[in-house]
Amino acid sequence: MRIIEARQLTKSFRQAVKEPGLKGAAKHLFAPRYIEKIAVQPLDLTVEAGETVAYLGPNGAGKSTTIKMLTGILTPSSGTISVNGINPYKKRMENAAQIGAVFGQRTQLWWDIPILESFSLLKDIYQIPEAVYKTNMNQFIELLGMSEFIHLSARKLSLGQRMRADLAASLLHNPPILYLDEPTIGLDVSVKQKIREFIKKINQEQQTTVMLTTHDLGDIEDLCKRLIIIDHGAIIYDGSLKDVKSNFARERVVFFQVASPLPALLNQLAQAPDIKLDIQGELEFSLSFDRFEYTASEIVGRVMKHGEVVDFRMEDANIEQVIKTVYDGNLDLKHSRPQEGA
Amino acid sequence: MSVVKKYSSITNRSLQNVLAYRTSYVITFLSNFVNLLAIYFLWQGIFNGRASVGGYTWDQMRTYLLITFLANSVLSWYSETAISGKILDGSVAADLLKPIDFQSARFAETLGTSLLEGGMSTVLIGIFILFTSGVNFPHSPLVYVLFALSLLGAMLVKFGVVYLAALLCFWSTGSMGIVWARIAVTNLLSGALVPLAFFPDWLERVALLLPFQSIIHTPTVIFLEQATAWESLSLIGVQCFWGIALWIAGKCMWNWAVRQVTIHGG
Repeated sequence: MRIIEARQLTKSFRQAVKEPGLKGAAKHLFAPRYIEKIAVQPLDLTVEAGETVAYLGPNGAGKSTTIKMLTGILTPSSGTISVNGINPYKKRMENAAQIGAVFGQRTQLWWDIPILESFSLLKDIYQIPEAVYKTNMNQFIELLGMSEFIHLSARKLSLGQRMRADLAASLLHNPPILYLDEPTIGLDVSVKQKIREFIKKINQEQQTTVMLTTHDLGDIEDLCKRLIIIDHGAIIYDGSLKDVKSNFARERVVFFQVASPLPALLNQLAQAPDIKLDIQGELEFSLSFDRFEYTASEIVGRVMKHGEVVDFRMEDANIEQVIKTVYDGNLDLKHSRPQEGA
Repeated sequence: MSVVKKYSSITNRSLQNVLAYRTSYVITFLSNFVNLLAIYFLWQGIFNGRASVGGYTWDQMRTYLLITFLANSVLSWYSETAISGKILDGSVAADLLKPIDFQSARFAETLGTSLLEGGMSTVLIGIFILFTSGVNFPHSPLVYVLFALSLLGAMLVKFGVVYLAALLCFWSTGSMGIVWARIAVTNLLSGALVPLAFFPDWLERVALLLPFQSIIHTPTVIFLEQATAWESLSLIGVQCFWGIALWIAGKCMWNWAVRQVTIHGG
């Protein structure tokens, strides 16, 4: 079932153009000039029920704008959205009842009253039946380890505690859809782990559809099978995480430790254009190469011909590097994509 | 009624929230008291040696001051800055993600703080009256009922004005200018500064046509028994009219604002 469907979605903002200096400021006061800034270009997006989707992109790519349109707090400039059959910006309240959302930098908890009070307020706001509220509350307190701070006000919580509480707050009413905007930003490793496990569990048990934006690639590797990458307001990749890895993580590195120095080999390798040599010590060096050009055994074989290899280990390019190359504009996932199934 | 429960819960939490600020609560309490004293002695100076000013005797005037103080404080500084603050810091987004009506939720919240601030003012006035004499108390219980109703009406109207002013923050980037302008206009035209009867004739007539007079003028007129029971009822009717009109205006403006303006702060 398609739970989120957006067609030809766009959003542009009006930005004031001010000329520099006092003169410019005065001019703007009387004859303001504006330009249209396009945040999201015509964009098609479909998410199936129960999926966990990572929505990535560099800062300012249009991620948050898209999420805001999907949650109904921003009206699109054009295009259509349907979330579980509801148009989010026309029927904001109905849509709000069926989604949960955590925006990393903001809290939905009341600042000065115990967070338990915030939770019980949500129970009334979402009209959650007593039994459901109790079950969820008990489960969340246990899974997220909230018992030690549930009686404190949000002001007194650490960032990690607040994030856990916010996550719990967004799921109390068992929403079919959960939007997470940078849920692990600024958190330590163990809290990150707890949060990821929690989201995974909720997704598996409740079939909650999760859409998550993040800069933390650990979040993606742990949680998401599908990846959507957006840049300059347009989707530049939509596919599985596995495909990105196998198709684009082309660089492979082999680290060697040899018994005696091999100057001849190193000279030869230094001249090979598509193999990168990195010397770490007299007896240690690494070779990086494109795994579509060479196989690992070819490389290892070549080295072994020249001398005795004491040890070697291999490292795959990780997803982080791939994403970085995409962000830097050095890799176009759409066009340089190798043949399907290659 | 679970819909009512939604909003009454908000009122409850808002009350808890204000109570969390014990120190600031005490300080507000004291500064209000100082304010009341200052105005009281100012007017005492003006009345010095005169039987009446603008048709008000000193006894009537000090009753007027106390009622003004009470009516003004049922919806005060806190609610003023709370709504515009939400818009300016972008936390309005969090409210939009909830299945609640923004305006009703803000009203429920305001009600929570008003209960406290109204209660506090009543205590303050009680203390004040203990040390002064000559305050005019009406004898008929009916007046008290009408007065209580008119205070509710005043609150509704004032909320309407405050809400509309707060929504202006969608278009500006600061709230102070708007808040001060609103306070100046409201204080003048509601009769909080001086009774409307002190105004030149034309200004008094203009003021009576505007919603602001419902906030101070109406409760004071009723408490000072300057209106008969029927007149009082019709004044309360006018309050209801303004309350509803401003509510609808607020709703329209909100719909317009939400559609037109992106939410500040990303």
